[in-house]
Order: sequence, then C-alpha cells, then structure tokens
Amino acid sequence: MAQSQGWVRRYAKAFCKGFFVAVPVAVTFLDRVACVARVEGASMQPSLNPGGSQSSDVVLLNHWKVRNFEVQRGDIVSLVSPKNPEQKIIKRVIALEGDIVKTMGHKNRYVKVPRGHIWVEGDHHGHSFDSNSFGPCGTAQLLCPKDLDGIFVLVGLEMITAAI
Amino acid sequence: MQGAQRGTRSWVSRITPWAESGAKPLSHPGCHESCFCQWWQSLHRTMLRGVLGKTFRLVGYTIQYGCIAHCAFEYVGGVVMCSGPSMEPTIQNSDIVFAENLSRHFYGIQRGDIVIAKSPSDPKSNICKRVIGLEGDKILTSSPSDFFKSHNYVPTGHVWLEGDNLQNSTDSRYYGPIPYGLIRGRIFFKIWPLSDFGFLRDSPNGHRFSDD
Repeated sequence: MAQSQGWVRRYAKAFCKGFFVAVPVAVTFLDRVACVARVEGASMQPSLNPGGSQSSDVVLLNHWKVRNFEVQRGDIVSLVSPKNPEQKIIKRVIALEGDIVKTMGHKNRYVKVPRGHIWVEGDHHGHSFDSNSFGPCGTAQLLCPKDLDGIFVLVGLEMITAAI
Repeated sequence: MQGAQRGTRSWVSRITPWAESGAKPLSHPGCHESCFCQWWQSLHRTMLRGVLGKTFRLVGYTIQYGCIAHCAFEYVGGVVMCSGPSMEPTIQNSDIVFAENLSRHFYGIQRGDIVIAKSPSDPKSNICKRVIGLEGDKILTSSPSDFFKSHNYVPTGHVWLEGDNLQNSTDSRYYGPIPYGLIRGRIFFKIWPLSDFGFLRDSPNGHRFSDD
C-alpha cells in the first residue's frame, strides 16, 4: 500500500516538474523563435497558395528575425490586421518609412510612409486586403517574416488568413 | 540499520567518486609521463566534470526561469515604470505600476482604461495613455473653446488614446487612432510611491466623447 502510494506521488511530482519546464520553454520558443502556420486565401498568389483552395501552403514563421523590428523591402511578413485584431494577415513589404509609394486603389495617389510604419501589399493585386485599403501599417504590428524556403516542422499549427 | 548502511554508502560515494566509476589504473603499461597522466585524469574526473556539469545546470536553470518569466510577462502581467508627464495627475513621472495582459488577450479593454501600447512612430518604445474611444465611437477633437465642433469617428479595429495631462501629451490627437493590435497591457494598480498606493483614479477630464 505504502509502495503504490509512493509510486503515484513520485509520478505526480515528476509530471509537475516536467510540465513546468516544458510548457514555458515551448511557449517561449513558439513566441520568440519560430512557429508554423498554414496560409489561407489567394491574396499572395502565385508566391503562396498557387493551387488555390486545393492545397494550403504551410510556412515557417521566423520570429527571431524581427526581434528588432527590422525588415527589408520585399520580405514577406505576417502581421496583425489593423481592421480586426483577431486576424493575422500575410503580405509583402513594399516600402519602408520615408518612402513614397504610388498606390493602387488608395484614396491618395501618392503616399509617404510615416515614421515607424511600413507599406504592405499582397502579390495578387486586386484580390488583396492590404495597405491599399488600410494605409501604412505600424511596424510594431509585425509578427514575423516568413522563411520562403520553409521547413515544414509540424510543431503546432496556427491559422493565418491572407484573404480579401 | 538499513538506513544507516544506505547513508554510509552514499557518503562514501560522495567523497570518492573516482573509486566508483571504474577508474583506470594510474600507471598503465607504456605510460612514461605518469605524472601527466595522473594530473589529466584527476582533472578530467573531478574538476572538468564538476565544473561543466555545474555550468550546464546553471544554463539550464537560466533558460527555464527565463522562459517562465517570458510567459508571465507576456500572458499574465508585470511591473512597469512609467516616465513622462503626459498622464499627470494620475501617474507621475517615475511611478511604478502593475500592468496586466489578460484583458488584451480576451479583448476586454474598456473606455477609461489606462493602457500600455507600442508607440506607432517607434516600435521599440511604449506609450502609456488612457482609452477614450473604442471602434465606432465619435470623438470630439476640437477644444471646448472652439465654436465649430469637429468630430472624428474611430475606425474598426482601432482605439483612441489620450493622456490625462491634455496640455502636455502627444496622443491620438496628434497621430490619430491606433490599431488595437498595438496595445500591450492594461494598468490598474499603482505600487510606488507608497503615498499613492492603490487602484488608479478615473479620468480627471470627464467624458470627452459623444455617442448618439
């Protein structure tokens, strides 16, 4: 009796110890280093989701690269949508702060990107909800740039919608 | 008796680890530099293994506690020091306050809350202001002394922030409404100075938005 109780208590103790080590480390890794996401939508065709609704691309999101909020023109980034904070969108960085952008479908023809902001657009022009709709976007909303030659490590899956 | 035996064995093993681990004889055939061998083996077994083991353990604990701290600050809350005059008299320069991040994740930020957000002009710095309007609200942007009142509507997914010290605060009156995604946490309790310990007051400016 005493032996089986001892076994249960030892197991519970080991489980708790492992839990409190594994969960924070995993969460920190997924938040700060990298995580995996599935892309939905057609606004980044043909770079992402060229097959349309038949097959969704799975991408590796590299959080480590934006820890200083430095992106280059041409990077594909994932960010919190300015119109809906619960949604994340994937777009390409077209212009950085200080650049002047010739817009397509924005209310102003030429826009100067203010300090601390970036201009993002989807590759599939016309089918993309991007800076042409909501204007320049604050750099702090960046989540992470995407690694184009993605390694499909199935650690966790997060839905990212790159939709209209 | 059994306990004493067990205790003795572990005591002995702590004192003489090399005796337990199958030590090679110190003078094996072909070993001319027996002093060097002796020194190297003792170094390897006692110091290197001990120091390396301790270093790895220290690094492991640092990583583990760092990750726990990150999870706590990111998902629960933390202590923040505020600087600047833009929230006087509610929060003075170099006050220490307690901020919680749960409201942000559950989308529970209300009008009148004091929030910490990432600055829209510099993503590495944070700002601390009060939420005056949520999405869809009509904000009075002209000063009360103006004859012609001008209004702004807060777009979807954005909030309107203003500091309590209206004369000395760059806030949404300057850079417009900011997206909800920039909000980092909600301040609800002041810790330092002790004379001002407690929950934070309501806005001294009253309501400045009209919703009809």
